[in-house]
Amino acid sequence: MTQKFRLMRILPLQIGLGVFLAWLGLLIAQNGVVYAASSGQEQQPGNAVCLGCHQQPGQTMTLPSGEQLYVSVDPAQFGKSAHAKAGVACAVCHTDIFGYPHPQRSAQTIREYTLTYKDTCKLCHADKYALDSVHRQAFESGNENAPICVDCHNPHTQVQVTDEQGNLIPEELGKSPEVCAKCHNAIYEEYIQSVHGEAAQQGNPDVPVCISCHGLHKIEDPTTAKFRLASPKLCGDCHSNQEMMAKYGLSTDVYNTYVSDFHGTTVTLFEKTSPDQPTNKAVCYDCHGVHSIRRVDDPQAGLEIKQNMLAACQRCHPDANENFPDSWLSHYTPSPTKYPVVYYVNLFYKFFIPTVLGVMGVLVLSDVGRRISMAVRRRSKGQNQGSKEKTQS
Amino acid sequence: MSEKTQRYMRFDVAQRIEHLVLILSFTILALTGLPQKYSLSPVSQAIIQALGGIETIRVIHRTAAIVFVLEAVYHVVVLGYKLIVLRLEASMLPEFKDARDMVEWFLFNLGLRKEHPKMPRYNFMEKMEYWAMVWGLLLMALTGFMLWNPLTTARLLPGQFIPAAKAAHGAEAVLAVLAIILWHFYNVHIKRWNWSMIKGTLSREEMEEEHALELEKLEKGMTPVLPDPETKRRRERVYFPAAALFVLASLFLVVRFVTLEETSITTLPPAERLPVVVRRSPTPLPTRPPTPTTAPTAEGAAAPTTWEGGIDRIFAKCAACHGTAGGLSVKTYADLLKGGKDGPGVAPGDPDASQVVIKMRGAHPVKFSDAELQQVIDWIRAGAPEK
Repeated sequence: MTQKFRLMRILPLQIGLGVFLAWLGLLIAQNGVVYAASSGQEQQPGNAVCLGCHQQPGQTMTLPSGEQLYVSVDPAQFGKSAHAKAGVACAVCHTDIFGYPHPQRSAQTIREYTLTYKDTCKLCHADKYALDSVHRQAFESGNENAPICVDCHNPHTQVQVTDEQGNLIPEELGKSPEVCAKCHNAIYEEYIQSVHGEAAQQGNPDVPVCISCHGLHKIEDPTTAKFRLASPKLCGDCHSNQEMMAKYGLSTDVYNTYVSDFHGTTVTLFEKTSPDQPTNKAVCYDCHGVHSIRRVDDPQAGLEIKQNMLAACQRCHPDANENFPDSWLSHYTPSPTKYPVVYYVNLFYKFFIPTVLGVMGVLVLSDVGRRISMAVRRRSKGQNQGSKEKTQS
Repeated sequence: MSEKTQRYMRFDVAQRIEHLVLILSFTILALTGLPQKYSLSPVSQAIIQALGGIETIRVIHRTAAIVFVLEAVYHVVVLGYKLIVLRLEASMLPEFKDARDMVEWFLFNLGLRKEHPKMPRYNFMEKMEYWAMVWGLLLMALTGFMLWNPLTTARLLPGQFIPAAKAAHGAEAVLAVLAIILWHFYNVHIKRWNWSMIKGTLSREEMEEEHALELEKLEKGMTPVLPDPETKRRRERVYFPAAALFVLASLFLVVRFVTLEETSITTLPPAERLPVVVRRSPTPLPTRPPTPTTAPTAEGAAAPTTWEGGIDRIFAKCAACHGTAGGLSVKTYADLLKGGKDGPGVAPGDPDASQVVIKMRGAHPVKFSDAELQQVIDWIRAGAPEK
């Protein structure tokens, strides 16, 4: 009797395994493309079966830790998700929850429960698993709170974020900081008040959101020397883009002028010759802020206001006085009105160098000319003498 | 010794060593300075990498600069000794004759004059170089000081003098290097290899061409008159302490120059000060609504009393599982009456014998709301009418 009972209990698991293997075969046959059908397959419960119960809102399951695991799925929201649209059945991911009553779960906490799905996404999204990310590193170094796929992408609600061409849909891009905010809320709060964050919230697709700089799935550690050295290029990518900057009346010279000034030269050289070397030479974000970048005319933090600029200088040059900020050309090319002393020094040398070298060159050339003509004369003289001697003999 | 093979002394060993020090420091300054000015060129980057990176190159550059300045201090001391103690002729001072020599030399080169000018111990070519060097040294030292000590500079001058100093320092360097290549290399290496800074002497022919006036003096036996030992000693007693003071003052200035200010912090500037991980309080998840939407009372209508009159809608959600689960189907009235493996779903007139009610009161995972269950019980008690 007990034997039979046990068999009956594992029967759904056996069926499930069979279905799963069949589905995996299908997956491989279809070259990795995600199409999981929920209907037409024997024995696999359709989504309707699961939703029959789970569509009721507010259902929870109490875990041994006392935490409430939310087990409801809103069919309307699920219907909009990329998974629903691709026909991915509940059972594709929830491979162990066939039949009723559902098998007992061993997870003690919500986190433990979530982590049981750590490798589930790999079935279809193996390419993303291959990427090295600061989150993955954190997880592998033992931090179980480091995000796994489902912490960012709720599989029941995650909509398709790319269009047919595979480009991120601007609207989704604009919403993406909310995802990061789940764990990085302090930075998020600062970001949404920045010039970029404000515009991103209004749906402007030009401004950077978190992933524009930090990357997607392949999130690099932003505290390394390498990231620091490469960061000006990150800003320069957009801020040198004429088409984009023209919309906002911004200069496209900020990167070039940075590179040709004190800090930028060193940083650029480091980046090229020793990209892992730490440097304290200022990069864009040391003055403009990391996530708190404001407009340059912002009264509190804008660098166009001298006191703000001085405060920025003093972060690295504590003894700087109020003259000191002018030693930085503020991304301007010197002109008679902007940094005239620099402009006129350059102008002076523009004429002085050719004049000095020109005088020297003329004198040198005259000397060369004389020496050549003398040599020619001496040779022809010698030949003449030689021929004379011949005739005489 | 015949006239032709006669050698004429130009520079003593000390002067030649001085020149060597100058060559070394100048070359190092140029090699480490120009790549900084043209830092984006691949040639510069190759040099920078070969010399150990930009930070190392700066240290080398500044070390060479100090050597250069110390060399200048030494030069001034020796010059002072020659002019003040020995009272030698200040043969490096430019004169009007030098300008005339230059014009005449040029005309001679063009074939417009028969004779080249007779030139003194230091001809106009050498004076041009010497004074260009003096000017360059002063300008480079001054602008170099400003770049080395920008905070101090900004206390004395408007801030833009610092980038202006950088512009001048770089442009002057280009001028100096090009002048050395064009003028110095041509005049002492290319047109004829001049051995005077290595062997110390020139031949009679070379003297005749470049220092004819000096040659005449030498041949007339006009050697500089040196002071008698007594006068010399008297002058030295004044000069040596003065020179020592000058050297000490110079050394003090150089040390101050190098150690004047801590321009910047040596640590990394703080990047993001905010804590990286700050969890957001999660949005509360939806809770079970107070009245089920499927309950007809919620719609404000009277409680259903027949299967077709609304009881079927209460059972609609069960159909997701109970198409087959437990052998029970709730899709039709007849199926519900028939029931599943545990018996009839509904026993008309007897709620307590109806499996639906038993299961709802038991461990079924999904439950009717209290209102729904009451409606179903009332309906069964009334004989579970279909229509």
